[in-house]
Amino acid sequence: MDLGVSLWAAFELSTLPQQVVNGLLLGAIYALIALGYTMVYGVLRLINFAHGEVFMLGAYTALFASWFLGYGKGSSLETSGPLNLMILLIASMCVCGIVGVAIERFAYRPMRSQPRIAALITAIGVSLLIQYGGALVLPIAPPPSINEKVNPYRGVVTMNLVGGDPQLLEGYEKAKIEFETTEKAWTEARASKQPDDVVRALRDKKNDADRTMGDLQRRMDNSGVKIRIPQGQLIMFGTTIVLMIMLTYLVMFTAVGRAMRAVSHDFDSASLMGINVGKIVTITFLIGSMLAGAGAMMNATFLGTPLTTFFGVMPGVKAFVAAVLGGIGNIPGAVLGGFLMGIAETAVIWAGYGQYKDAIAFIVLIVVLLFRPGGLLGSAKVEKV
Amino acid sequence: MNVKLRSAAFSAVACFVLGGLLAGCGSGGGSSTGDTGGTSGSSSTSGSTLQPGDQTPDPNKIKIGLVASINGDLKPWGMDSQNGALLAVDEINKAGGINGKQVQLLIEDSNSTPEQGKTAAERLISKGCVAVVGEVASGITAQIALAAQEKKIPVVAVGATKTELPGIGQHVFRVCYTDDLQGPVMATFAYEELGLRNVAIVTDNKQPYSTYLSKTFRDSFEKQGGKIVDEQFYESKQTQFGPLLTNLKAKNPDGLFLSGYFTEVGPIVRQAAEAGLNAKFLGGDGWDSAEILTSGGDAILGGFFCNHYNNQEDRPEVKTFLEKWQAAFGGVPGTTMGALGYDAVGVAIDGLKRASDVNSAESVLAAISETEGFAGVSGVITLKGSGGNPDKRALVVKLAKEGQVYEKAYEVSEVKR
Repeated sequence: MDLGVSLWAAFELSTLPQQVVNGLLLGAIYALIALGYTMVYGVLRLINFAHGEVFMLGAYTALFASWFLGYGKGSSLETSGPLNLMILLIASMCVCGIVGVAIERFAYRPMRSQPRIAALITAIGVSLLIQYGGALVLPIAPPPSINEKVNPYRGVVTMNLVGGDPQLLEGYEKAKIEFETTEKAWTEARASKQPDDVVRALRDKKNDADRTMGDLQRRMDNSGVKIRIPQGQLIMFGTTIVLMIMLTYLVMFTAVGRAMRAVSHDFDSASLMGINVGKIVTITFLIGSMLAGAGAMMNATFLGTPLTTFFGVMPGVKAFVAAVLGGIGNIPGAVLGGFLMGIAETAVIWAGYGQYKDAIAFIVLIVVLLFRPGGLLGSAKVEKV
Repeated sequence: MNVKLRSAAFSAVACFVLGGLLAGCGSGGGSSTGDTGGTSGSSSTSGSTLQPGDQTPDPNKIKIGLVASINGDLKPWGMDSQNGALLAVDEINKAGGINGKQVQLLIEDSNSTPEQGKTAAERLISKGCVAVVGEVASGITAQIALAAQEKKIPVVAVGATKTELPGIGQHVFRVCYTDDLQGPVMATFAYEELGLRNVAIVTDNKQPYSTYLSKTFRDSFEKQGGKIVDEQFYESKQTQFGPLLTNLKAKNPDGLFLSGYFTEVGPIVRQAAEAGLNAKFLGGDGWDSAEILTSGGDAILGGFFCNHYNNQEDRPEVKTFLEKWQAAFGGVPGTTMGALGYDAVGVAIDGLKRASDVNSAESVLAAISETEGFAGVSGVITLKGSGGNPDKRALVVKLAKEGQVYEKAYEVSEVKR
């Protein structure tokens, strides 16, 4: 009983809504990349290990496109806005689509008649080739996100769920005046070169006032329940959802989508029914890679750590796990898996075990696969030997 | 026919893409180095007059080896360390060399990886270098130390701050302080100067540098009476930090100690401001770069970190060093590694001057281990009886729009460990 109480006390319930939002934002990107893995697996029964590298090339394309638009170093351009971001997005999606199709055409298609393991090893080879080969020509560069002109959406959207404590505001105003007077006294004493111990005493007084003020300000901020979402991440999330709806429409309600589902159901029979299987495979790679390109562009433009040729490794691995979790080959499964991964990771951090977040994500995967070997939405088929 | 046509179209498209990529990179490479060197005065090689000399070993010259991260993640530091080393060698050669003999600097690239660092050191030793200088990171330096162990070639590390290094004090020496010092320096500064009492730590779980620095900061800060309210973890190359920042915010810290490298610290601080986290940001020498100002945006301004050297410090050594740098490369060094590279080669040359036989690594090693009161740009370096770790001062610098601003210098005795 006691244990239960102390366990719950360790969780910050007031941050729970914010953390759920964080988890969804994180999961959306995983889901977007996971779609590429799952679509390719659906039609070819091949795990496209080079998918993370396609993602990386998408991020570089966004960077080069931003330079091309004149946002490189020393740019004097004043304009910024949604149009430029659209150009970056389309450039990344196009280049990724072409790269994905090229990889299929030159690396996987010649392996089509070979045992599946040969194609799998080819996939690993292509992945390493792009990572290390790319390092010879691609620079290590800051992401386009650092330029305010590329990404003008720096604001934060705040939603107040529960209001703050008004009494704290009064105290804060008082503390602020106190801080301003003590700071002034300290600055003057330092400027007029008074003895060290006098300055030090004034400094400590100023620091005390500063601390009280900061503490009140933060308590005021923390006393309500709020959700804060940076504008950029909100745009990312919205774009991801729009892309997913477009994908659903394409797969469920068009002739190409029907053919895709047929190929996924039975590769050989589909070709006997007059479906151009080669074309469908190309389209699958094109769409999957374009989705990765969109994810990469948004990741590099709205978030962004420096770009290297290994930029796609971690997102690739996480998204692959998400695809397996949801049932690889199953499109809604990839989306579900992505969101689950994002939420599981955030939940672990929320519970205070941040250093184990990846370990726990993989434990979730193992447990799911123990009970549902085909993934959450996948169907476990018995392999005929 | 149809098939053939299509495959031809495919090849054409592929060629176009590849060609486009290559062209893009060609033009991109140059401007990216400019970016990383950027704001606080760049150390880019454009317009520099001093270049690495002939790399074929010359039997008539004394050979010093330099392992530098000329490519890879640490390139901004690597280029600065190389420039600093070139400057020191150029200076001694213009002054007539060591006992009339010219010094040759042989340079090998470690590509920012420990494995290639080891190969680079082995190559330098086989070319007959009597001392090896390098590297800017501890992991690579450890491999250089192992490569030099058998022949007992003296190694002078540039920026390896990890406290435990193989062979330290025997054949490995450094010109920088250790993580045992910089954690407590920041803790003392946070507690006394900034008056912080409730600090949270953010650690890069994948970097031993970061985990150890977090530990030394925590120990010192708690010993002084402060409280560590929370510690959160991330991994190198992570891009979204929302979940851990939400946790931190709920713990109400008045300061945040970020012990990782600038590559992630910048985005973390920017996202922390977006998450509404109002605290003072502190860190170690992993912040040292021009890039952190762009990746951290306005949020990073007013942040403090521990560094070895600062361009603005009011000391004669710094002023003459900056004049020489300006003459040789134009501008000022973008990172602290320029000064440390210069000092590391300086210590090696100082040893060579006192060595009984400049062609024997053994006597050079003995001379370097006797270094006393060497007036380096980054401070006075004494290696005699110090176990390879000079008792050097550390600086606290503040980040402002124009770059790193000198804030306070700590002598070793002033730091509360």
